[in-house]
Amino acid sequence: MDPGRLGAGPPVIIMSTRTLTIIGFVLVIAAMFLLEFLARRPGSRIPTVGQWLGYLMRPRIGRVLILLGWWWLGWHYFAR
Amino acid sequence: MATDDVSRPPDRFGHRPSFPLWPGRRRNRMRTAAIAIVLAVYAWVAGSVPPFSTAALVMVLIPGVVLAVIAYGWPPERIPAPDKLDITGMFWWVIAVAALFEWEASAYKDNSLPWHPSLTDLINPLLGPHIVKSAAILLWILVGWALVRR
Repeated sequence: MDPGRLGAGPPVIIMSTRTLTIIGFVLVIAAMFLLEFLARRPGSRIPTVGQWLGYLMRPRIGRVLILLGWWWLGWHYFAR
Repeated sequence: MATDDVSRPPDRFGHRPSFPLWPGRRRNRMRTAAIAIVLAVYAWVAGSVPPFSTAALVMVLIPGVVLAVIAYGWPPERIPAPDKLDITGMFWWVIAVAALFEWEASAYKDNSLPWHPSLTDLINPLLGPHIVKSAAILLWILVGWALVRR
């Protein structure tokens, strides 16, 4: 067997892909914080999270679904 | 002193000594402090419960039921939602949320392998320390309350 295919060789590739995935999450979440920051500037056309969630929660079904989503997050991260 | 029974003029904020101008505010502050303590203790206890247990499920169910009852039975004064949203401004949020879901879905589709971890795989180890998990539970409850007010 080729020793280069076993052992410490592949983890370099594994780590880089894992890092890429983490960077993707960090970038998206950072973008959301940036959007929230921009939304809070005076005269901004971008709604804040609270505004667009409030808009989605105007109909009863939207309210129920958003609250269910909130509860699911708690169950997913704290009960499992 | 003879001046004890003489009412002194209010200070520049309108406060009179020993006579709160807004007695309700002090009561509200006490109530808020009491609720904060209860929530902190609850989060601390909930953070100590082992996952995948009935107790963990109950600890998550209780805030959900309480907030649902409050939202349905005694809804608090709600923050008015906007009548409409700016489409261009909202579009940026749609892109960000869609990107997050797409990235998560691709990780989930790959069976959350170590080289493509899902958000859950990344967050769960961070929630290991008791204090972090309790803080996260407290934050989760506060977010729930903020949603009920919307």
